[in-house]
Amino acid sequence: MATRTAREPAVDLAPAEGLINAYVESREATIALLQDVQKLYGYLPRPVLDLIARRLDLPRTQLYGLATFYKAFSLVPRGRHCITVCTGTTCHVKGAPHLLATLERELGCRCGETTKDGRFTLERVNCVGACARAPIVVIDEKPHGRLSPAKVIKTIERYE
Amino acid sequence: MKIRSIADLDRIKEEGLGLLYPNRTKIVVGTATCGLAAGAGEVLEAFRRAAGEGGLDAVVEESGCIGFCQMEPLVTVHRPGTPKIVYHAMTPKKAEALCRELREGRLSSAGALGEIRCETALLTGEERRFAANGGGGAGAALPDFDDLPFYRKQLKIALRNCGYIDPEDIRHYIARGGYYTLRAVLAERTPDEIIDEITKSGLRGRGGGGFPTGRKWRSCRNAPGARRYVICNADEGDPGAFMDRSLLEGDPHGMLEGMIIGAFAIGSDRGYIYVRNEYPQAVKKLMRALEECRAYGLLGADIMGSGVSFDVTINRGGGAFVCGESTALMASIEGKVGEPRAKYIHTVEQGLHNLPTCLNNVETWANVPVVMHKGAAWFASIGTEGSKGTKVFSLVGDVKHSGLIEVPMGISIREVLYDIGGGIEEGHRFKAVQTGGPSGGTILVDEKGATVRTSTPSEDGAPLGFVPESLLDLPVDFDSLTEAGSMMGSGGMIVMDEKNCMVDIARYYISFLCEESCGRCLPCREGLRQMAAILDRITSGRGEHGDIELLEELGAVVMDTSLCALGGTAANPPLSTIRYFRDEYEAHIYDKKCPAGVCKALIRFVIDPAACTGCGACRAACPVGAVKEGAALPAPVEGDPAAPRKARLLHEIEQAACIKCGACADACKFNAVRKE
Amino acid sequence: MADKSVKLTIDGKEIEVEPDIYILEAAERLGIWIPTLCNYRGLTPFGVCRMCTVEVARGTRVRLVTSCNHPVSDGLVVRTNTERVRTARRILVELLCARHGKVGVIKRLAENVGVTKPRFGEGDEPCILCGLCVRACDEMAKANAIGFAQRGTDKIVTTPYHEESETCINCGACAKVCPTGAIYIEGAQELRHDELALGPNAAIAVPTMQAVPNVPRLDADACLHFTTGGCGICATNCPAKAIDYEMQDKEIEVKAGTVVVATGFQVFDPSVAEQYGYGRLPNVITSLEFERLSNAAGPTGGKILLRNGTPPASVAILHCIGSRDEHYHRYCSRVCCMYSLKFAHLVHEKLGARVYQLYIDMRTFGKGYEEFYDRLLKEGALFIRGKGAEVTPGVPGGAEAGKLVVKCEDTLAGVQRRIPVDMVVLSVALEARSDAREVERLFNLCRSEDGFFLEQHPKLAPVETTTDGVFLAGCCQSPKDIPDTVAQGGAAASQALSLILRGETTLSGACAEVNPDLCSGCRVCNELCPYSAISYDAEKKVSAVNESLCKACGTCVAACPSGAIKGKHFTKEQILAEIEGVLR
Repeated sequence: MATRTAREPAVDLAPAEGLINAYVESREATIALLQDVQKLYGYLPRPVLDLIARRLDLPRTQLYGLATFYKAFSLVPRGRHCITVCTGTTCHVKGAPHLLATLERELGCRCGETTKDGRFTLERVNCVGACARAPIVVIDEKPHGRLSPAKVIKTIERYE
Repeated sequence: MKIRSIADLDRIKEEGLGLLYPNRTKIVVGTATCGLAAGAGEVLEAFRRAAGEGGLDAVVEESGCIGFCQMEPLVTVHRPGTPKIVYHAMTPKKAEALCRELREGRLSSAGALGEIRCETALLTGEERRFAANGGGGAGAALPDFDDLPFYRKQLKIALRNCGYIDPEDIRHYIARGGYYTLRAVLAERTPDEIIDEITKSGLRGRGGGGFPTGRKWRSCRNAPGARRYVICNADEGDPGAFMDRSLLEGDPHGMLEGMIIGAFAIGSDRGYIYVRNEYPQAVKKLMRALEECRAYGLLGADIMGSGVSFDVTINRGGGAFVCGESTALMASIEGKVGEPRAKYIHTVEQGLHNLPTCLNNVETWANVPVVMHKGAAWFASIGTEGSKGTKVFSLVGDVKHSGLIEVPMGISIREVLYDIGGGIEEGHRFKAVQTGGPSGGTILVDEKGATVRTSTPSEDGAPLGFVPESLLDLPVDFDSLTEAGSMMGSGGMIVMDEKNCMVDIARYYISFLCEESCGRCLPCREGLRQMAAILDRITSGRGEHGDIELLEELGAVVMDTSLCALGGTAANPPLSTIRYFRDEYEAHIYDKKCPAGVCKALIRFVIDPAACTGCGACRAACPVGAVKEGAALPAPVEGDPAAPRKARLLHEIEQAACIKCGACADACKFNAVRKE
Repeated sequence: MADKSVKLTIDGKEIEVEPDIYILEAAERLGIWIPTLCNYRGLTPFGVCRMCTVEVARGTRVRLVTSCNHPVSDGLVVRTNTERVRTARRILVELLCARHGKVGVIKRLAENVGVTKPRFGEGDEPCILCGLCVRACDEMAKANAIGFAQRGTDKIVTTPYHEESETCINCGACAKVCPTGAIYIEGAQELRHDELALGPNAAIAVPTMQAVPNVPRLDADACLHFTTGGCGICATNCPAKAIDYEMQDKEIEVKAGTVVVATGFQVFDPSVAEQYGYGRLPNVITSLEFERLSNAAGPTGGKILLRNGTPPASVAILHCIGSRDEHYHRYCSRVCCMYSLKFAHLVHEKLGARVYQLYIDMRTFGKGYEEFYDRLLKEGALFIRGKGAEVTPGVPGGAEAGKLVVKCEDTLAGVQRRIPVDMVVLSVALEARSDAREVERLFNLCRSEDGFFLEQHPKLAPVETTTDGVFLAGCCQSPKDIPDTVAQGGAAASQALSLILRGETTLSGACAEVNPDLCSGCRVCNELCPYSAISYDAEKKVSAVNESLCKACGTCVAACPSGAIKGKHFTKEQILAEIEGVLR
């Protein structure tokens, strides 16, 4: 997982403070807190992680370990739209590798990366559980089923 | 409003029945993830528009998946006094047409799958019959929906409400008998009686292990500890399995009711539901269900006036397959990275926060209310000697009818594949069924269906079992499959035909596990890395003599020495495929050929000049411009009947540029593009 | 042992152990070798290298478990060397080799389990992810500076964002526990020479080979347990359970009839004499530091090295630093000439380097000393008569570049000299201990002008003091060399013994006596008594004289406002009668 990019925008910590306050009571909700931060900022900004470490008195190593262990988290800003190619078994045998290759070629970025214009982040997931509609591509939480390389290109054109 | 008595429940039930069967036309769109993937969102919008601006007098509702995912988007239209009609592959356009018909007071059967003539709520036993043949319009008489081959052999216990109710309205659930069991259990039964009942019913864990549920509850209740936890494992990670997703999206209360009963029996006041991060719809529905439960006094302090307290938290996973392992899941709930620990001390004694913890899978919890309501004897009457009740499977892959099915234990694999699944798609041959995800094995059937073989490790990690006689008629239950050296798995059943390369499938699973292993212990992390390297080598045509044996030796040790079940089963895919498809491995290694035509390095696409018409479709389809115009052939000589009729521009594929995506072959209407 | 012990069988041998240990430890007690990489006594077992895999049977069920974290239990049957175990270990070692086959610990393991040609190749990724460092950092140092990141085959050990950690306390515990040497401390060599101090490198160590008592000592300032609350590894590992962190300094009361004061000396701190650059210039060290450096049990294992780890080509030994010096001590420290000669000899012998001795004059008074001096002259040590005046860094660019320059006046040649050398050893003075004053008070001793304790008489009573039963030995009395110290110690001991062996002591009849009926308890006498012979009895509210301490000086008699004290045999009446007799 890439950990740094040159363009890391300035981060407003105020909303993060609010989130942390909601979690200060229960220690076990660290992952839920990170998920909320991820949702709020689109990634886990470093200043926010530092703030959480300070406020919840957690070692930074633990937060960094969590952020890099779980696929749901990103340490770098993501694109406006997130394209997730399902590479579950059914999707794999139904041609997900071709979809992924097509998207990588079309977007000019590798899986796990964000396009230069910040429009898309390309990722993959091991099964979204809609195998009867394989192969599936999820764009911003909306699943699209039974796609072919040609169809997937048409589909992403709808997202600006 | 808090529910405190049966009268309260009855009142809500009446209300719910009014919603389930209103006095006007009701349109229900299946909007589970599978439906949404097929465009159910747009369809729903179209119906809403029609009912709103369009002035159609109808209620438009959403529901979970009714199981036949293949046919999504599925829409049920119910006009009072007529059978419900189920339409498949709905589109916004078709929806508009349908609404026009409805406005005209008729309903065509075009695009309909069947009609539901009778609905029975499993818990109440109440039947609702609708007048037959309610099409009312032109078209042929529709088949009975429940008698469709896909449904005929199914028996729905866990899935009892999926597709029939709005999962976001608790009144729907209560209308079908929900929470009556909880009320009865809290008022009339002691925890010990509940555990006895569950034990007697023979219910076993549906997550794959098949551990007797009653015994687990008893150990947890008896373990010393200041507090006890119950957990619902909804971190369904096996690719190709979506039983939990469908259950949670279609009927979250079914699982919740089971969990509350379990918590009361075990003596827990705190529960967790660990849901996979990739299931946003399920999380949404669960959150709504928890809200409703709290509002109605079914969660929180003093549930239904019984003095029992219990509450539940939803934990979203972080996108890690290994968190489906119970100890990793608990670590994740504790806010740590999801690394499993050695289970030399069981989690029922020292689980979450080192306190006694009872973890069951979604399907197991969903069975509990039924067991308690209908009684252990009823439940035990279904299934086989050692495996009672039903099992939900996701039947997918190269099978005609894919979707979510629930069948009684003991049904044969043949029935599942051919009767329910409708067999293999035309023109293809059956090759294998993969069960249990990356940790599972493969049940194999040769093309005639005469020999069936199965593989997975037995409990003590001994080498794979091999069952020479026909397994096609092997009953699906815990013990038969375990005895045969396979296992039930969590319920994923992926059917594969001859287009699938078994070496590639093994490589796929190993690279999946490389990514999903937590990386903590050496054999799993490094062993997978080496297995991946070997399989990569084989599939890219660089396989060497001895690779197969090395894989076998390495795989056995990885499974023998790994810390958790992920590593403990990690080598199953290569080992089982080697066992039964050694010839395919050998073809890759010695002949440098991929018999199934999957491994890119070992295949090439060529255009047959005799069949090519020069239409150029392949050239347009090629994403990398590898298809070039070749020699021009003049118009044919008169009198040669075999020759094409007109002048053609032949096409050729530049092999160096070709990325072997197969787009040209898909585009060619004349089968001129061939894979070699 | 809270619970009762359990019996298990390992490789056919039965052993009874406490119930809270793991199989690995039980096997160790039986002397059965089980390989392991990720286990470290004192750290939580991790069970990830799986090298310690053994076969365990309970009833009919046989399975492989990791012995480092599988608890023992009654009736457990363990086999550590079956075919299944051996196969597993072989493959595991091959997998390790594929990651890092070139490091000694893995090579040795490979040899032990019979892997000659690893089939997955030999990698060179130093970290094998055993997690020892992560646990050490968390559990020992409580610093949490390093942790695991990422997962699966991408897993690594790192600091957050791969940057220098802000919580690292530079304790080095991670590097210490790392089995493959994947972690090293940058500039460790330099660090060691910086701290070359006399001291040991660990927070717990036997201070020197000659230390009395010869047992380890815990340095609370350096110990991780005291600084962070973590670690505790020494206590975990001590088989005698001798380590007790709660232990406090305590006062012990000993009843003794005689006391030998042998409190020793301290060395002069040359940093106050700024001209010598001690503490400012690298490679200017004191004689005691040189002694540690050349000691085989010292930090460099007896190698004489410069700060940069190279041996010096030339050494200057400056005599009389702090001794025979109006600014510091006027006396001669008596030992420096001889040890300086020894140093020169050692440098010659070990390095063959050039040695300069800068002296005022050589005092080789003892038996065989002069002969040793002669030998050094023959060995080629360079003697310059003239005290070293200043040590400066060499002028860059020329022959002095990178060296130290010692300036002095060569009084025999009558010239000023600049001597470029690599190392300067300051032969520092012996001086009275800084706490001599307290000891002086405690025992009612006297000190001479130089701060050392004063003997009762320089010739007639050289080990006695002004207090009866208190004797002096060694350098607390004045600087002296080892033979003299031993001799004086013997004398003091025999003096003390002569008192003890008698078992009783004869008191002089003349001593003061308090009449309790008259004593008002004002305690004026308590403070006045120069021999601390009068104490106050709080119960009776009167003062009393200890007859064995009283010297009958009469001070108290004269001072008592109530006239309650009288000097026996020197009462007013007796004195008056004496006067009368004289006058008669």
